[in-house]
Amino acid sequence: MASTKFIFGMRDAFFSALYEIFKRDPETVFISADNGAPTLDQFYQNLPNQYFNVGIAEQQLIGMACGMALEGKKVYAYAIAPFITVRCYEQNKVDICAMNLPIVNVGVGAGYAYDIMGPTHHTVEDLTIMRALPNMTVHSPADSYCAEALAEISYRNPGPQYIRFDRAGVPEIYGDGRFNFADGVLLTRPGGSLALVATGIMVHQAIKIADELAKVGVQARVIDLCRIKPVNTERLFEYLKGAERVVTMEEHLLAGGLGGLMAEIFVDNDYRLPLLRIGQNDRYVFDNGGREVIWEKYGLDVRSMTDRILRWIK
Amino acid sequence: MQLEQRQTLERKAHWVRCKVLEMATHAKSGHISSAYSQTELLVALYQGRLMNYNSKNPRWEDRDRFILSKGQGGIGLYPILADVGYLPHSELDNFAGRDNLLGVHAEHHIPGMEIFSGSLGHGLPISTGFAQVGLLRKKDWLVICLLGDAELAEGSNWEAAMFAGSKRLSNLICIVDRNGAGVTGYTDRIEFPCDGPQLNPLDKKFEAFGFDVRTIDGHDFDQIFAALGDIRQRQGKKPLMIIANTHKGKGASIMEDKRLWHYRVPAGEDLAVTRADLGLKPLRTNKRALVDAEQGE
Repeated sequence: MASTKFIFGMRDAFFSALYEIFKRDPETVFISADNGAPTLDQFYQNLPNQYFNVGIAEQQLIGMACGMALEGKKVYAYAIAPFITVRCYEQNKVDICAMNLPIVNVGVGAGYAYDIMGPTHHTVEDLTIMRALPNMTVHSPADSYCAEALAEISYRNPGPQYIRFDRAGVPEIYGDGRFNFADGVLLTRPGGSLALVATGIMVHQAIKIADELAKVGVQARVIDLCRIKPVNTERLFEYLKGAERVVTMEEHLLAGGLGGLMAEIFVDNDYRLPLLRIGQNDRYVFDNGGREVIWEKYGLDVRSMTDRILRWIK
Repeated sequence: MQLEQRQTLERKAHWVRCKVLEMATHAKSGHISSAYSQTELLVALYQGRLMNYNSKNPRWEDRDRFILSKGQGGIGLYPILADVGYLPHSELDNFAGRDNLLGVHAEHHIPGMEIFSGSLGHGLPISTGFAQVGLLRKKDWLVICLLGDAELAEGSNWEAAMFAGSKRLSNLICIVDRNGAGVTGYTDRIEFPCDGPQLNPLDKKFEAFGFDVRTIDGHDFDQIFAALGDIRQRQGKKPLMIIANTHKGKGASIMEDKRLWHYRVPAGEDLAVTRADLGLKPLRTNKRALVDAEQGE
C-alpha cells in the first residue's frame, strides 16, 4: 500500500461532501475568516444565506459562530489552522467549549504545510492546545477519503470540534472502502511487533518508513490516529496487540502532541511498552526551501526517521 | 414618561443598589461600582419593559436576546432577574456561595442569561451572530447588548462593530455603560500613567463603523426611555449604539468615579458611609443585616 498518486486535496474533499449536507439542511452555516477554497465558491453562489465572511477577524469568526449556534445553527468556522486555534484560543474556550456548542472549526495548513511561510503559518502546537479544551473533539485526517467522511461525522456530532487539514492534495491511502473513519483510529497497515503510530501527513511518512524497514527485515505496522480526542483506546489497544515497541510520528511539537498523548494513555492504562516519540523539539522553524527541507533538517524525513528507529530497536 | 412610572423605577433602582451592597458584603466579593453605573439602564429594560421577555419561559422564542457583555455586572442584574420572576429571591442570599447558581460573572445556565460571560470583548461578536440569525429568519426580536466602556479596549469589539455596521444588522441594539473607568484607570481622561486608552470621540468612532449613535445620561429614566422607546420602529438599516454616560459607583459617595473601587467591597467605616448614602440603617452588630429597603411593587 505505497503512497501513490496526487489527487483532490483533503480540504476540498471535505467541502464537497459538506456542500451536499448544506443543501439538505438549511440550518447549517459556514463562516470564513476570508479564507477560500475552490470548492467553497458553490456555497456562496448557491447558498447565500448559509455563507458568511467576517474578514480576517478570527475573534469575530468564533464569536459570531457562537451567537448563531446559540440560535440553533450548526456552524462551520473556517480559517488557516494557526489562526483558528491560537489566535482565537480564548474564544474557542469561552464561546465554544464552555457552552458546548455545535461549532466545527476547520483549519487548513496542519504542521509545516505552509512551509515557506514561516512560523506564523506553521501549526505545530494545535493538537496540544485544542485537546486541552474540555468538550472538544479533534480530528487529524491523513487523506481525502478520511476528510470526506469527516463531513458527515462532524455534522452528526453535536459538540465542539476541530478538524486540521493538510494544505496540498496529499496521496490517497484509504481508497479501498474498508476503513471505518468514525472509529477514530485506523490500522493503516498490519504488520510486525513494531508499531508506528502517526497522524496527518506523518501517516504517509510512516508507510514509507515501514517499506524501508521491511527491506532490512523489520516488520512494522502503521496505525493512524485520525481522531486525537477523544481517543478510541479500545480500538487502539486492539491494533497494538502483539506490538513490542511503539514509535509515534508527528509533524508537531513534542510538548503535549501525539507522542505525549500516547505516553499519557500508556501510563493511565498501565500499558508498558518502550515508546519513542518523533516530532519537533522546542523551537520555531525559520528555514526556507520547503517542507522536505524542514523535514530533513529536523529529522522528520523518511531516511532520518528510519535510521533513528533502527538505532533505537537494536 | 409619567411621573408615577419614573418614581416606581427610581424605587426599583434604589432597591437594586441596596441589594447589591448586601450581596457583596455578605460574599465579600462583587463589582459594586460597575453594578451601580448600569442600574437604571437594566431597570428600564426589565422593570420598565423596554425589552420583551417572559420570565416564566426564559427561552420564549420571541424574546429579545439580552447579552450582558460586561459580565461583572451580574451582581447588579441578579436582583432584577429575581424581581421580575426569573429567580427566587432566596438565590440572592447566598451570592457566590456553595451550591449557589449565581457567581461573580453571569453564566449561561442562569435563567434569563443567553451567554457565558466573564471575559470581556465577547458579547458584541456573539451578538452579531444572534442578530444575523434574527435577520435571516425575519424575526421581530431584537438583540440588546450591554457593554462596559473599558472593555472597548478589547479589539474583538471592533471586529464585531465592523461586521455589524457593514452587514447592516439593524436588529442589534448596543448600550455602552460609559462610566469612564476601568480597573485602575479612566477611559475618558488622563491624569496618571495608569489611565488607559481614551475612547473619545466614542460617538464618532461608532458612526464611522456604520452605527446610528445616541448619547444620553444613563441614570436618567426620561432619557433612557427617549433613546430606547422607538427601537422597534426605527427607520433605516443601521445597528444602534447608545452611549449612556454614567458614573461608576453611582449613589455611593466613597466610590463614585473614584479609582480603586472596581472590585472593592466596603467594610467598617466605608460600609457605614455607603449604607448611609443609600438611606439604610446603621448596622448594629458585625453580623449580616438584612436590607430593609422596600422591594417596590
